[in-house]
Amino acid sequence: MTTSVSSPPAQGSASRSLFAARARGLTKAYGNGETRVVALDAVDVDIPRGQFTAIMGPSGSGKSTLMHCLAGLDTASSGKIWVGETEITKLRDKRLTRLRRDSIGFIFQAFNLLPTLTALENITLPMDIAGRTPDRAWLDQVVETVGLAGRLKHRPTQLSGGQQQRVAVARALAARPEIIFGDEPTGNLDSRAGAEILGFLRHSVDALGQTIVMVTHDPVAASYADRVLYLADGRIVDEMHAPTADAVLERMKSFDSRGRTS
Amino acid sequence: MTVLRASLRNFLAHKGRMALSAVAVLLSVAFVCGTLVFTDTMNSTFDKLFATISSDVTVSPPKVDNAQRTGTPDTLPGSLQDRLAKVPGVARVVPEVSSQQATVADSRNQDIGSSTGAPTIVGNWNPTQTRSVTITSGHAPTLPNEAVLDADTAAKHHLAIGDTLRVIAGPGDTKVTVSGIATFRTTNPGAAVVYLDTPTAQQVLLGSHDAYTDYALDAAPGVSDDQLKARIDQALGGHAYQVQTAAELTAQNQKDIGSFLNPMKYVLLGFAGIAVLVGIFLIVNTFSMLVAQRTREIGLMRAIGSSRRQVNRSVLVEAVLLGVVGSVAGIGAGIGLAVGLIKLMGALGMHLNTADLTIKAATPLIGLTVGVVVTVVSAMLPARRAGAISPMAAMRDAGTPADARAGRVRAALGVLLTGAGGTALALAAKASSTSKGSGLLAIGVLLTLIGFVVVGPLLAGLVVRVLGALTLRMFGPVGRLAERNALRNPRRTGATAAALMVGLALVASLSVVGNSMVASATTQMDKSVGADFIIQSGNGSPISPAAAKAVHAAGHLSHITDRTDVAATVTAPDGTKDKTELAAATPSYTDDLQAKTVQGKLIDAYAEGAMSVPEGWAKTHHVTLGTRLAVAFTSGSTARLTVRAITSDDTVFDKGAMYTNIAEARKYLPADKFPSNDMMFAAAVPGQQSQAAAALKAATADYPQVKVRDQAEYKSMIKQQLDQLLNMIYALLALAIVVAVLGVVNTLALSVVERTREIGLMRAIGLSRRQLRRMVRLESVVIALFGAVLGVALGMGWGIAAQKLLALAGLGVLSIPWTTIAVVFLGSAVVGLLAALFPAFRAGRMNVLKAIATD
Repeated sequence: MTTSVSSPPAQGSASRSLFAARARGLTKAYGNGETRVVALDAVDVDIPRGQFTAIMGPSGSGKSTLMHCLAGLDTASSGKIWVGETEITKLRDKRLTRLRRDSIGFIFQAFNLLPTLTALENITLPMDIAGRTPDRAWLDQVVETVGLAGRLKHRPTQLSGGQQQRVAVARALAARPEIIFGDEPTGNLDSRAGAEILGFLRHSVDALGQTIVMVTHDPVAASYADRVLYLADGRIVDEMHAPTADAVLERMKSFDSRGRTS
Repeated sequence: MTVLRASLRNFLAHKGRMALSAVAVLLSVAFVCGTLVFTDTMNSTFDKLFATISSDVTVSPPKVDNAQRTGTPDTLPGSLQDRLAKVPGVARVVPEVSSQQATVADSRNQDIGSSTGAPTIVGNWNPTQTRSVTITSGHAPTLPNEAVLDADTAAKHHLAIGDTLRVIAGPGDTKVTVSGIATFRTTNPGAAVVYLDTPTAQQVLLGSHDAYTDYALDAAPGVSDDQLKARIDQALGGHAYQVQTAAELTAQNQKDIGSFLNPMKYVLLGFAGIAVLVGIFLIVNTFSMLVAQRTREIGLMRAIGSSRRQVNRSVLVEAVLLGVVGSVAGIGAGIGLAVGLIKLMGALGMHLNTADLTIKAATPLIGLTVGVVVTVVSAMLPARRAGAISPMAAMRDAGTPADARAGRVRAALGVLLTGAGGTALALAAKASSTSKGSGLLAIGVLLTLIGFVVVGPLLAGLVVRVLGALTLRMFGPVGRLAERNALRNPRRTGATAAALMVGLALVASLSVVGNSMVASATTQMDKSVGADFIIQSGNGSPISPAAAKAVHAAGHLSHITDRTDVAATVTAPDGTKDKTELAAATPSYTDDLQAKTVQGKLIDAYAEGAMSVPEGWAKTHHVTLGTRLAVAFTSGSTARLTVRAITSDDTVFDKGAMYTNIAEARKYLPADKFPSNDMMFAAAVPGQQSQAAAALKAATADYPQVKVRDQAEYKSMIKQQLDQLLNMIYALLALAIVVAVLGVVNTLALSVVERTREIGLMRAIGLSRRQLRRMVRLESVVIALFGAVLGVALGMGWGIAAQKLLALAGLGVLSIPWTTIAVVFLGSAVVGLLAALFPAFRAGRMNVLKAIATD
């Protein structure tokens, strides 16, 4: 992974090489006055480079909002966010778009692909948009890894849901982004296809040093991560390293019951 | 009831998506209603005008069927006044002088007549004039050489009391001073009107102090118009004069003006019809897209028990609502349009009063019917498709509707129709007579149009790919995305482009025909026109004898030709009487216009007792060289002329003319009944071209109505006239094109809404706003260019077939107006860009998060 040293941010430089994304005092609120709803309440978070981070939490906990803000899809009400060395909270749409194109990969729950493009065209789309030629060898390796060789000429409608998500993973990996965000990437898949996708993600972290952040509510999916962050009411309430599915489930249950009693 | 409520809610919920369809309905209905209101207003204005100016009874010279313009109107003797005054029941006799064969010039010798074709009317000031005008400043003409001028003309030419005018007519030519300005009480139909005192009017216009053009009679109290007319008929004995009551005169005037207004009305309605046709494509597309977008919703309704009919009906109810809203707004807009047209006519010199705005009860009814029927019929197909949606659709993850595969049936039908149409066009091009061919041409045009509409979606794949390869590829991945988007729903792209195609095909075909006309005329002029100069009267009236005399006096000319049309009835050997005109000219005319003959030599037709007939006429009536024809002139005398030449019909100039020597014609008509020259020709002494031109221009300088043109000037005049006509047609077609452009906007805007999630995805993975907007713009340009390709291809086919057919009638040269074609393509690209402005803006504004959020 390349670590550029240009334009160092104001804050401590030692931490930079360690984190692919960071947020300080990240607050996101909707509405004003009485109708004001706080989705994120002064969140501080560090996403270490080369790690697989899962974000969990009940519906409405702000996990998706956190991911959207970190990925530059949504704007923060206050606080600061860095992706790599770049502080993105001040960026205008144009720079933000370029950042997403060049430094961030996305895997959504559904509707990841353009129906008019073939699988291969979908994979290289971010690079095409940027006007860059894909690194052929790397592309082949990615396609090989996700097992799509042979299906590259297919249109999305000719692929199964699992295959479509594999194309999405390949697209995210192909551009070698600083960080990949997954928004419930296995939410629409059966457990076998889901396990496959999660396997690829795990592999890309271990073998390629890719940084991945994934929002999920599935304890099994979360167990593939290096670290799990728990969100509730817009705050990070807990953290778990080297999670297992059972441990995650237990922890979730305890939040759930606490949530109900409070 | 729930169905109705659901439709109503849907309609309101999708107001924005319906808006452009409503605008299309609005525009079509507005054009229809505007035309009706405008022509009705014109009619009622004229009715009012005619009713106010008609005297109880008017006595005028006998009506001649085959009137010819001698430069002097027909007159009644002055002695008639006393005879009329003695008829019991006549309260007043007003002798009137009026002529439309005069030219009025200002002090700089510029014709002050209307430039829009309305006449110049010069008359005597008499008591009946106060019915139509009032003198608003100055006084009536009392002294010789005083004149009253109408206020509109005075304002237009900056003339005031004290200014000098020149009145030029056949019998006289005099200078008069403006003594008063008259303002119309009702409407000035655009004419330039000058009133002189009676003796001056008689002398200048009629050449006699003992003649009038008509007598206006007022009935005594208690005597009806009809009674008075009967008494006068009796007193005058027989039908030597034309005696008309106010009602009859008004009716006749209405009929005359109707013969001008009605064709105008139908032509305008025709163009409105084209706009309606184009609107249909737009509405079909809108409903198809709305149905496609609601697939899941409709599937749910079906799943919970709605019947096909209910779904079908709910879509149609929406169509009715759209039709009603669009039509009602359209009726209002139509009235506004009519008011606008009236103001426009005012600017052109015809001052209609907006207070006379005539909205017949039928007008809104027609508008509403057109709007609602068109909308409902357009929605029929999409409604059926909605009904056919399976309840399973509710369960499917709809995303975007899958590629609609254009069916084999469509392909076969389209190819069949286009093929049949093409064959009809080819046959029309090869037809042996224009009458036979024109039917084939019409069938061919219709079938190829429908064929192209049907086959359009199939062609979309091919043409868009070619266009993409030519233009889009240079825009890289964004261009490729645009191309794919244009291709993803060929039916939609096809219908959108077809709407544009209709207008552009008409533009292309008319420009081919028009250009060929100019080219043919020019070619034929080069081949057959020997005259160096062509002399005509600018306002379409004949060349006054004085002007003709001046032309004859000009120097440096080797010959001068007089030419006029003489009314005559020609009796063929088979007994048919043909009321026609002879082209009577000096023999040098054969050099000026070297008309081709199929038999005999043209110059022989100018020998004593000789004439020529055209080919087609000769064939129909079995006339050959040597046939003697009885030619009856309006004077009553009949000549027996021998056919010495038969001319070819393959000509642009003088088509169907029967030539004879002007000296021959003069034998049978008294000088005062002989028409003035309608055209004159002159050839310069070799080598003295420029001196001759100068001499002619100097000689005619005194006659502002006479125009001298050399060949080049004449050619450019023909081109100008045709261009003017074409431009007018293009302007009327613009409406259809505007509706088609709305269609492009509509399709794109709805597509953008439909592709919300895709757009969100692309934005998320790094497509910039600029790239996104460019993608939408390129898609739009490609659709517009596709429409242009279809339209130009179709239009060229029509135009070429029409030219080949009209080659029988002298349109021998095919000339493709490449500039116009290039402008059509460029214009379409620009239109595509403009159409994409709003949809692209909307796409760019789309909230990425909302777009990708799963619902």
